[in-house]
Amino acid sequence: MATRRMQLNAYPLETALDEHIYFSKEGSSGGRGFAGGGCGCN
Amino acid sequence: MQLRNKRRGNVQATLAGLAAGLFAASAASAADDTGSRIDSGISFYQEAGGRVRAIEPALNGTFDFGGQSILTLGIVSDTLTGASPNGAVPSTKTQTFVTPAHSQSSSSVTSASGGGTVVVVPSKTGPATVTRQYTVSPGALPLDPGFSDQRYALNLGWSQPIGGLRTVSVGGSYSTEHDYQAISATAGIAQEFNDKNSTLNLAVNFESDSSRPIGGTPTPLTTMSGELKGPNASRTEADVVLGLTQIIDRFWIAQLNVQYGTSQGYQNDPYRIISVVDPVFGLPTNYLYESRPRSRTKESVFLENKIHIDDDIVDVSARYYRDSWGLSSTTLEVSDRSALSSDLYFEPNVRWYRQNAASFYRSYLVGSQAIPQFASSDTRLGSFDALTFGVKFGLAVGNNSELTLRTEYYQQTGNQHPSGAIGQLAQQNLFPTLRTANIMLGYSFGL
Repeated sequence: MATRRMQLNAYPLETALDEHIYFSKEGSSGGRGFAGGGCGCN
Repeated sequence: MQLRNKRRGNVQATLAGLAAGLFAASAASAADDTGSRIDSGISFYQEAGGRVRAIEPALNGTFDFGGQSILTLGIVSDTLTGASPNGAVPSTKTQTFVTPAHSQSSSSVTSASGGGTVVVVPSKTGPATVTRQYTVSPGALPLDPGFSDQRYALNLGWSQPIGGLRTVSVGGSYSTEHDYQAISATAGIAQEFNDKNSTLNLAVNFESDSSRPIGGTPTPLTTMSGELKGPNASRTEADVVLGLTQIIDRFWIAQLNVQYGTSQGYQNDPYRIISVVDPVFGLPTNYLYESRPRSRTKESVFLENKIHIDDDIVDVSARYYRDSWGLSSTTLEVSDRSALSSDLYFEPNVRWYRQNAASFYRSYLVGSQAIPQFASSDTRLGSFDALTFGVKFGLAVGNNSELTLRTEYYQQTGNQHPSGAIGQLAQQNLFPTLRTANIMLGYSFGL
């Protein structure tokens, strides 16, 4: 269990990318953390 | 000892994910036993139909100063080009749209630029009016072909244990693009208990945004035009997350988050319009800038489980969301990391998302009816289902480095032919399916 792969957010860059895409294409956000990262996302 | 370190790692991972609020700058990767590290990646994103394309390089540094005092620093750049729906409905006739252009000039010229035709109208009393005009063919989804932006984001976070069972974290972020700027600050605290098997997290985030649309900020529900419009507009948001992380056993960890947020100020998409159609034939007679409420509150519940089963690590998460605009959604996500060898793994993932529309969402307005106070045709506020399929491959390189390749396909489908569509609109696709693909190449290494 003491490995990176068992971390809840083991790959933060991938999580950030996913959240940014979903934030820009869907009407809801959050849950896992504070989403968005500030963008107009037009 | 490893388990104790792991518990501390999960405290910081969870706290950083919440308090920093900056996924790219999360201390999660550093919080495990690998210490300081650099995560890097570049992603390529493309929407079908010649819509938005993005290239996004990202870098995240995590630096362990000992004693679990961790600094995180992240930087991201987005380059976006392509075409974006302007919000109007398709028509059986050619449609022409006029919007303020990027620059101004004192001479009268006509040229092709930014996916349209730039027309400069000189003025004797003030600056010239520079407009961009583009046309959309009959039956086609109205897309503004001039979409282009460059975004930079910087994240910074610090996580510090206090005593044996408590950790505090602070962070901040700044992002800027041509027409938008955001700055935020976060703070959080985590408390371990139950022999360090449980961790309670509380985090808050404050964000201040400035919208700086090209050509100014339009007044909601006024007619689309190339005229210069109002000054920049601002928006503030405050969020709080209360979370519980629980180690179920040596192979299972779970997290439950409850989140509440409120935002005030300018929440419109300044470029988004909505068609006004005649009540008989459904042909567009006018285009109005959209109007959304200036206040919004959001609530969500999020549950995640990560379970180590033999050589696999399964991650299952669910979220329910609702807000004061009447929008609600349910999200389910599953991934399974499976070892192919001691150095190589693959990880398929599936995400299902269902959204119910905001109360003021509508595809168009009818000219014979009263104009409502709020109206938006932005399909992101509509009802739809979305599916994501993805797969990732990871390869260990050396002792503490990893190379990853990840690709995902995303599809969003809504009601293309809603009942009651007027005239020609009954023949039009009022919710074109959105299809996107992205691929990400990542490399991380320990320091």
